[in-house]
Amino acid sequence: MKRLVTAVIGLVLLAAFVAAGCSVPPGPTPGEEVSSCVLCHTDKDLLKQTASVVEEVKSEATTGEG
Amino acid sequence: MEVWEKAYIKDSKFLESNHGMVGCVICHGGDSSVEEKETAHQGIVIDPSEEGCNTCHSDIALLNESSLHTTLSGFMSKLEARGGDLSEGSALDTAFDNHCQQCHTSCGQCHISRPDEMGGGLVSSHVFRKTPSMQNNCIACHGARIGDEYLGSNEGVPGDVHWTQETMTCTACHGQELHGSGAMADDRYSNTAAIGCEDCHEDVWTDTAANPQHEQHIGDLECQICHSLAYKNCSSCHVGLDEEGIPCRTSEPSQILFKIGLNPIRSAERPYKYVVLRHAPTCASTFDYYGPALQPDCDAEPTWKYATPHNIQLRTPQNESCNSCHGNADIFLTEDDVDPAEREANRGVIVIQVPAPQ
Repeated sequence: MKRLVTAVIGLVLLAAFVAAGCSVPPGPTPGEEVSSCVLCHTDKDLLKQTASVVEEVKSEATTGEG
Repeated sequence: MEVWEKAYIKDSKFLESNHGMVGCVICHGGDSSVEEKETAHQGIVIDPSEEGCNTCHSDIALLNESSLHTTLSGFMSKLEARGGDLSEGSALDTAFDNHCQQCHTSCGQCHISRPDEMGGGLVSSHVFRKTPSMQNNCIACHGARIGDEYLGSNEGVPGDVHWTQETMTCTACHGQELHGSGAMADDRYSNTAAIGCEDCHEDVWTDTAANPQHEQHIGDLECQICHSLAYKNCSSCHVGLDEEGIPCRTSEPSQILFKIGLNPIRSAERPYKYVVLRHAPTCASTFDYYGPALQPDCDAEPTWKYATPHNIQLRTPQNESCNSCHGNADIFLTEDDVDPAEREANRGVIVIQVPAPQ
């Protein structure tokens, strides 16, 4: 009798859950994650604006072939 | 390449690839959840090759630990042979770190971006290239000698037939050997995984009846003696720091020469008596900025070294006739060709008696 009650309660709850249209919210999956890294590094204009000027550390005293 | 361009992912191909799906921070660190640049880049690892690649590619990463690209043991073995002290903190060790270490390359600098020495920068929007780009990777470092020869950039000297006729890129010949053989090698010629001409041109051993020159010389002459053209020779490289403390170097103008000498590394694998020799950029005073006589036994290693010029041709001036070589002192490395200060070092490769005319 106890088992029957438990099963009925379970079925009622499941039906209510489906009727309410609930579902597990989709989380980020590998490859679909939109990170700030991707947003910036795929945006040419943004990269141009934010790129730091890096000074070349090559010596002007170097001559000849490498 | 502009600074922004070096880190620009132009198309989404990479993001859809296996490596792209891993997510940026797994390899590079940083914080992908914030938009402010400085915070997002805290702890960033620009080149995560050392720790990142062997997670999945442990077999290649392990093998690669013996690669000359990783160990630079080619440089070390020559310096040590000349009596150089490379112990930590020594003057030569400091020079090595300032200059030679730049030639070290990582997985990423062959398979993802241009080498650091060339300023870095993504080659194909971060797509991992199993086969490195000949232009952006191999020739970026090996350009002055091998690249110029192969592409025919030395004035008056045509490019290698493997390129001009077959469009073969570097990796067509140099494959797995670039990851090393698993054993430490003193130089590229002692890498047991290295390829040889005969690996593809097997018929040179069997066509001797139709080819009297092969009949006469195979095994005794390195292939390049008959099949390569004049090549670049550098000399008198000196390294140091400039007034601002930045590493710099100077060298004499290079020379396009063709010189046959005695084989300095004769072995079962390389049994040739005669080989083509190229002058290495080094000299006794190369490291004098860092201290006197840092190569105290510099006569122990020849400065004219075994070479494999990359401008191969079927027909060359040397194989026009027997007397193109026999009796032709111009193409042999004789004592007069060698700087008096380097004669002792090169005693074992200088040709004393040029083969007589036929």
